[in-house]
Amino acid sequence: MENEKSSTHDRELIITRKLNAPVELVWEVWTQPEHIAKWWGPNGFTNTITTMDLVPGGVWELVMHGPDGKDYQNRSIFKEVVPLKKIVYQHFAPSFVTTVEFEAQGEETFLRWHMLFESAEQMIRIVKSNNAAEGLKQNVDKLSVYLEGRKATTQS
Amino acid sequence: MRARRDVYQAIADPTRRAIIGMLAEQPQNVNTIAEQFDVTRQAISLHVKILSDCGLIFIRKEGRDHICEARLDSLSEVSVWVEQYKKHWESKLDSLESYLEQLKKERYGK
Repeated sequence: MENEKSSTHDRELIITRKLNAPVELVWEVWTQPEHIAKWWGPNGFTNTITTMDLVPGGVWELVMHGPDGKDYQNRSIFKEVVPLKKIVYQHFAPSFVTTVEFEAQGEETFLRWHMLFESAEQMIRIVKSNNAAEGLKQNVDKLSVYLEGRKATTQS
Repeated sequence: MRARRDVYQAIADPTRRAIIGMLAEQPQNVNTIAEQFDVTRQAISLHVKILSDCGLIFIRKEGRDHICEARLDSLSEVSVWVEQYKKHWESKLDSLESYLEQLKKERYGK
């Protein structure tokens, strides 16, 4: 495995999912603002898409409204748009590049979601602040305590 | 639902937590681990495989033995945070998935 690691392995995040819908439908819900607003989470959030110009160089602005009444602005520029195949966008503040690839598999679609950060340090910063924003810290803390307990066992 | 391999899954199960605990004290081979539990060896092998897939243990072959070692360094705070962040994006896909189901129902009635 070590040899397969790319130079980006410590600053990227990849998630994949096989979706039970044809690629045309998946593309539609990914590219039309009224659809995105319905699923672009996180849980408990609603979204307003102010601008979505789906062409290379086009602006994408989305506001996430948190359950606590706080608004989170998101601004991106599309870098690459290949209908039914691929969307690449540069997100700003925080800065990262997302590549979403769509692969038609009959009536299903395989989605590959790749996020590339500027550096491992920057990724960790984003990850931490994101988790804090979502109130996930408690879970992580619980886990950390558990893991610390395990480490203590090793060393004793 | 396909299986997800992350630290959360690894420690979600009490048997796996017990295995990590045992291995944290000293490396052991799979059979020795299995002897200490009241479940089948196959069940333990599966738990060991999951822990290995999650990167929490490393399996080293020594002759016919498969020695398992805990890799607790991989449980650093950082990897925990990253896993949590990944979950955030996974939940977005969950949401996309259920929205697609809803749309399909509305449009095609199935």
